[in-house]
Amino acid sequence: MNPAFLYALVGVGLFTLGLYALIVHAHLLRKILAINVMASGVFLVLVALATRTQGAAPDPVPHAMVITGIVVAVSATALALALMLRVRAETGRAELAEEPLE
Amino acid sequence: MTLLQSVFDALLGFALLWLAWQALASPDLFKGIVLFIAFGLLMALAWVRLDAPDIALAEAAIGAGLTGALLLAALARLDKSSWRGFGRTPVRPPEGNNRDVIHPSKRDTKSAHEKTRKPKPITENGKGQAAFCGLLVVSLSALAAGLGYAVLTLPSQAPGLSDSVAASLEASGVSNPVTAVLLNFRGYDTLLELGVLLLALFGVWSFGVVPERRESSPGPVLDRLSRLLIPWLILVAGYLLWVGAHAPGGAFQAGSVLAAAGVLWLLTGWRLDTRFSGWPLRIILVAGLGVFVVVAVVLILMGGRLLEYPPSFAAALILLIEAAATLSIGITLAALFLGSRPETGPQR
Amino acid sequence: MSDIHWPVIVILLPLAGGVACFLWPRRSVLLGLLTALGVVACVAGLGGQVVEQGAQRYAVGGWGAPLGIDLYADGLSLLMLTVTAVVGLGISVYSSGYFERARYGQDRARHFWPVWLFLWTALNALFLSADIFNLYVTLELLGLAAVALVALAGGADAVSGAMRYLLVSLLGSLFYLLGVALLYHSFGSVDIAILAQRVEPSPAVWAAMGLMIVGLLLKTALFPLHFWLPSVHASAPAPVSALLSALVVKASFYILLRLWLEVFPFANAALAQLLGLLGAAAVFWGGFQALRQTRLKMLIAYSTVAQLGYLFLAFPLASITGWTGALYMLLSHAAAKTAMFMAAGNILYFGGHDRIADLDRVVQRLPLTITAFALAGISIMGLPPSGGFIAKWLLLETAIRSAQWWWGGVLILGGLLSAAWVFKVVGYAFTRSEVPHEARAVPATMEWTALLMAVLAILLGLFAPWLLALLEIGSPFGRENAG
Repeated sequence: MNPAFLYALVGVGLFTLGLYALIVHAHLLRKILAINVMASGVFLVLVALATRTQGAAPDPVPHAMVITGIVVAVSATALALALMLRVRAETGRAELAEEPLE
Repeated sequence: MTLLQSVFDALLGFALLWLAWQALASPDLFKGIVLFIAFGLLMALAWVRLDAPDIALAEAAIGAGLTGALLLAALARLDKSSWRGFGRTPVRPPEGNNRDVIHPSKRDTKSAHEKTRKPKPITENGKGQAAFCGLLVVSLSALAAGLGYAVLTLPSQAPGLSDSVAASLEASGVSNPVTAVLLNFRGYDTLLELGVLLLALFGVWSFGVVPERRESSPGPVLDRLSRLLIPWLILVAGYLLWVGAHAPGGAFQAGSVLAAAGVLWLLTGWRLDTRFSGWPLRIILVAGLGVFVVVAVVLILMGGRLLEYPPSFAAALILLIEAAATLSIGITLAALFLGSRPETGPQR
Repeated sequence: MSDIHWPVIVILLPLAGGVACFLWPRRSVLLGLLTALGVVACVAGLGGQVVEQGAQRYAVGGWGAPLGIDLYADGLSLLMLTVTAVVGLGISVYSSGYFERARYGQDRARHFWPVWLFLWTALNALFLSADIFNLYVTLELLGLAAVALVALAGGADAVSGAMRYLLVSLLGSLFYLLGVALLYHSFGSVDIAILAQRVEPSPAVWAAMGLMIVGLLLKTALFPLHFWLPSVHASAPAPVSALLSALVVKASFYILLRLWLEVFPFANAALAQLLGLLGAAAVFWGGFQALRQTRLKMLIAYSTVAQLGYLFLAFPLASITGWTGALYMLLSHAAAKTAMFMAAGNILYFGGHDRIADLDRVVQRLPLTITAFALAGISIMGLPPSGGFIAKWLLLETAIRSAQWWWGGVLILGGLLSAAWVFKVVGYAFTRSEVPHEARAVPATMEWTALLMAVLAILLGLFAPWLLALLEIGSPFGRENAG
C-alpha cells in the first residue's frame, strides 16, 4: 500500500481513538490528552495525503497548516490545563460534574 | 519503495496507535503523560517518514516537549492541591469572586451532593454504562470505517498547490517552501495564530494566581545541566530561525527551543525580577504580533495590500517578523509553563 | 474612500486595541471604548464601500486564492459585521459599567478588555474570510476567547462551564478541521469560491460534509448538541452571556450557512429536512425548558436554544425568502437577547440574585430594565412591529408557499411558548416577595444600554426593507432555486 494512505488511516484511527477516550474518561487531564491525540490524528491525515502522488515532492501547504495547527493546539492545551486547575480549586475535583446529556 | 520501508511504516503506524491507546487508558496519570510524550516523539518520526522535517522539528519541540512539560507541571499542581481537598469539602471560592452566581441555597445542596458522590471510573457504573460503552465502540468503529473508506477513495494524484508554491517561491523572499507558505503566502493565518497564542496567555493570566510550586532546591544535577544547556538552546534557537529561510526550521521551531531554555531556567527556581515582569515582559510578549501588525500597516500605507511584501524586501521583512515572533513565542510558551501571571512590582 | 482597505482595518483595529489594552491595563476601559467606536466607524466605511461597489474580494498578500488567502465581503458578511459592531458597541458600553473595578473583583476589567477585543477580531475575521482553513484559525481564536471570558465570572459554576465549553469547542474545531483536510485533498484548494467551482460528490466530500456539519452544529448548539449551552451562558458574566448568545453561536452558524450554500449545494433534501426537524425540536425543547427554569439567566439561556432552532427551519424551506427570514431571525435575536441578558445582569447587580420567584416588584426599582426585558420579549415572541415578527413572517410565508405549512406551526407554537415565559417573568416583576433585595444602585449606562438594545430589536421591524436590500448585495443566496 502507498505509505501515504497507511499513515492517513493511522490518522483516522488516532482521531476515533481520541474521540472514544474523550467521551469515556471523566478526568479532565485525560480528556485534554484525548483532544491532543485527536488533533495529531487530523494533522497526520492532512500531511500524509499530501505525499500521496508517487515520486513528487510533498505539497508544502498542508505542512504549513499543520505547524499552525500545532501552535494552536499547544495554546489550547495550556488554556485547558490552567482551567482544569481552576476547576480543581473551585470544586475540589478535576472532573466535571454530571454530564447534562444523561 | 523497499519492503523494509513498508515494514517500518506498518510498525510505526501500529506503535502510534498502541502508544496513544496506552497513554489514554493508563490508570496512572503520570505514566499516561510519559507515554503521551513518547507518542509525540514517534509522531516526529512519522513526520520525517512523510518528508515533513519542518513539522518533525515543531512536533518534537512543541508537540512532545512543551506540551509534555505543560502536562507534567499541571499534574504536579493537581497532586499538590489534591491532598488539600481530597474527597472532602470543596475548597470554597474566595469571597466576592462569584458575582453572577450568588445563590447560596443551590450552591450548598450541590456541594453536599458532590461530597457523597465518589468519583468512579465510568466503566464501573453498572450495566447502563457498559451498554453505553458498547454502543459507543460500535458507532465509533463505524465512523472510523467510513472515514477510512473516504480517505482510500481519494484519487492517487494529489491536486495540491505544490506547483503554484514552486512558481511563486522566487518572489517570496525565502527558499524553504514551508516558510514561504507560513510567512508569506498564508502569512495572515500566522498572524492570527500568534493572536491565538497571546490570547491563551491572556486567558491563563485571567484565571488568577495559581499557588506556586517552589521546589526546595533544584539539585546540583539540574543546576549544572541547565547552566550547560541554556546557552546551547539559545544558540540553537538562533540557528533554527536563521536557517528557516532555506532549510527546515523557522520561527515556531526556534521559539519553542527558546521556550525550552526558559522552562529549564524556571525549573532551576529562577524567577523574573519584579522590575521586569510588568511593562518589559508585556512588550516582549506582544512583540511578535506587534511587529507583524506594524509591518502590515506600513505596507498598506505604502500602497500595497495586507502583508504584500515588495519582493526586494521580502527576505528582510520575513526575517524581522520571524525574529520578533521567535522571541514572543519562546517567552509566551515559557510564561504558559509558569501558569500564572508573575508578580509585578508596584503597578504602573 | 474607495481605495481604503476597510476589510483589513476592520480586522486589525480590534486586534491592535486588544494589544493596547494589554499593554496599558490602567487605561483599558478608555482604550476599549475608543476601539469599539473605531470599529463601528470602520464597519460603516466598509458598508459604504460594499453598497457602492458591490461585493468585495481582497487578496491578502496580493497572491490571491488558491495560493493565498482571500477576504470576501458581500451583503451577508456585511450584515453579520454590522450586527457584531452594534451589539459589540452596546456590550462595550455596558461592560464599562459592569466591570467597574471597585465593585467587580480587583482586576476583572483589566482581563476583560484584551480578551473581548480579541474575540471581536475573531468575529470580524471570521465573517470576512473566504478560506476554510483560515476560518478554522478564526474559530479557534473565537472559542478560546469565549472560554476565557466565561471563566472571568469565577466560582464553581462558571469555571466548570468554561471547561466544558472549551472541550466542546475544541472537539467541534477538530471535526471541522478534518473536513477541511478531506476537501483540500479532494480539490487542492481551501478557498470557498474555488471549492464551489470544483466540488463534486464523492465519498470524501460526503465525509467532509458530515464532519464539518457535526462540528459546526456542536458549536452552534443545535438540539440535541445544545447540552453544553445553558449552563455556560447562564454562569458567564452578564455582558459575556449577551455576546455568547447574540454573536458567538451565530458565527459557527454563519460558516455552516456559507458551506451549505456554496460548497455543498448537492446536499440532499433528507438532510435539510433533518436539520429542520432538529430545529423544530430545539424550538419546543428550549421553550419548554425555559418555562421550567427558576433562575432568570438560565431561562434566557434556554430561550437561546429555542431561538437557534428557528434558524434551521430555513434549511428545508431552501428559498431566498427562507434564508432571508433566518438571517432576520439571527439579527433580531442578537439585539433582543443582548437586551435580555443585560436586563438580567442589571437585576443580578441590583438584587444579588436572579431567582425569578423573588423578583419582588423590581419593576418599581428598575423600570428601564424591565421595559427593556419586555420589549425584547416582544421581539422574541415575534409580535409586530418587532424584528422577530418580520423574521417569522418571512419564514411563514415561505412555508406556506412551498406547501410545508407544518414549519409554520412550529413558528406559532414556539412563539406561544416564548410568550408564556416572558409573561411569567414580567408577572413576578410586579409581585411582592418575602425575600428582601440587597438593593445596590445600578449604573445608568447599564440600564440605558439594555433599553437601547431592546428598542433596536423592535426598530429592526421598521428597517426591514433597507436591511433586506443590503442582504442582496453579491446575492449570497442567489444560487438557490426559489421555492
